[in-house]
Amino acid sequence: MVRKWFACLVIIVMMMNTAACGVQKKARYEAEFLILFNTITRIVAYANSKEEFSEYSQLIYDELKVYHELYDIYNDYEGINNIKTINDHAGIKPIQVDQKIIDMLLFSKEQYILTKGRVNIAFGAVLKIWHKYRTEGVEDFENAKLPPMERLLEANQHTDIDKIIINEAESTVFLSDPDMSLDVGAIAKGYAAQRVAEKVREAGLRSGVISVGGNVCTIGRKPDGNKPWNVGVQNPNKEEGSANLMTLNLTDLSLVTSGNYERYYTVNGERYHHIIDTATLMPSEYFTSVTIICQDSGLADALSTAVFNMPFEEGEALINSMEGAEAVWIMHDGSFKYSKDFKALIKT
Amino acid sequence: MKFFRKSDIIIIAVLLVGSVLGWFIYQAVFKKQAAKAEIYYYSELAKTIELDTGAEKIFSISQDPHVIFHLYPDGSIRFEESDCPDKICINAGKLQMAGQNAACLPNGIVLKIVPKGKAREEDLDIIVR
Repeated sequence: MVRKWFACLVIIVMMMNTAACGVQKKARYEAEFLILFNTITRIVAYANSKEEFSEYSQLIYDELKVYHELYDIYNDYEGINNIKTINDHAGIKPIQVDQKIIDMLLFSKEQYILTKGRVNIAFGAVLKIWHKYRTEGVEDFENAKLPPMERLLEANQHTDIDKIIINEAESTVFLSDPDMSLDVGAIAKGYAAQRVAEKVREAGLRSGVISVGGNVCTIGRKPDGNKPWNVGVQNPNKEEGSANLMTLNLTDLSLVTSGNYERYYTVNGERYHHIIDTATLMPSEYFTSVTIICQDSGLADALSTAVFNMPFEEGEALINSMEGAEAVWIMHDGSFKYSKDFKALIKT
Repeated sequence: MKFFRKSDIIIIAVLLVGSVLGWFIYQAVFKKQAAKAEIYYYSELAKTIELDTGAEKIFSISQDPHVIFHLYPDGSIRFEESDCPDKICINAGKLQMAGQNAACLPNGIVLKIVPKGKAREEDLDIIVR
């Protein structure tokens, strides 16, 4: 439950510095809030005044909250049909939903085809089992267990994306298999971040960065010196220090990372992370992390999961075949592999 | 014939002074920006920690004694312990560069690294891992 005093907009506004920009002086502001998409949302933007910045961050918060509620798979909200409502009515009846859900589901189906099923929003039945074992395993780590493969295989019988029946004319979604469920965790955050970034750009923001739990969208450039945004990608194999950090220059681009080091649990001394390979039904073991850069954050989010779930050669071929998409793979030994034109993004 | 002419010496002197100046300018521009850590508790700034004192300490904030932080002599800081269910805050590891942050959402705590002085163009705007 979201506590009342927590529900009010949590914003940390900080004026960092003033920067001259021609005649108009724009200042740098930052804000953070904690409650949406179960992660930390961070905004950095240049604006003419604190009031102007607050308007933008309020707009971002309000919009993101709409998506947060619609794409939630765990909680109900009064008067809203969300993804959980669709799941709760699997095999029972079609649910009328907001266009924002329909659009995201259609987008997700496209990504399923593009990635040959490496990112599947109909994978909920399998992910649910892993989620349960992981949550229990973190809390009671001495008795942490792996889910039995028979259970995973059984659940995998109910992950057919074609059984998501979308009726655009009626604005309804129906899961025709009663045992299936949607899990939009690999796409929804990035998709929502992109829509929100577009909204705030329409509202007039010319220079900003929005990060929804690491789903980074950059808008325009920094007014001081008309410079691109500096986005650091840390090598998670190493502890800390600037030597293990790659700085990227991004202008109007999105960046999303999928990695094995944030959400995980330990069974008999082995770590098991949260990105489950749709082919093996086990945590994907190819890389430590994959970072995707392209214009659309929704696409970057979907691709980061999909490419994390495929061998390097296959992912490399996919990314190099896509106009405007780049990737960096961090291997288990800490080395990097890059897509064709990735190095042009690295700050020199 | 003199080995050095007067003009040679002037050129050498100018080069020497120039390179020394250049070295100082380089140092001033590229020196690692000093950073400090800020700990927020439900959006309130609960504590500010200087990172470059070389001290090691293990501490918590008065608002939530169940979340423990560790400051290392090398100027990095991390969530050491927390009573939250997912431990994502601890998994975030050590932080030390301006632009990095980690959060313990169940406890409403954000740990972020900010530059000590003004933000500069070459500072990182955001760091992901």
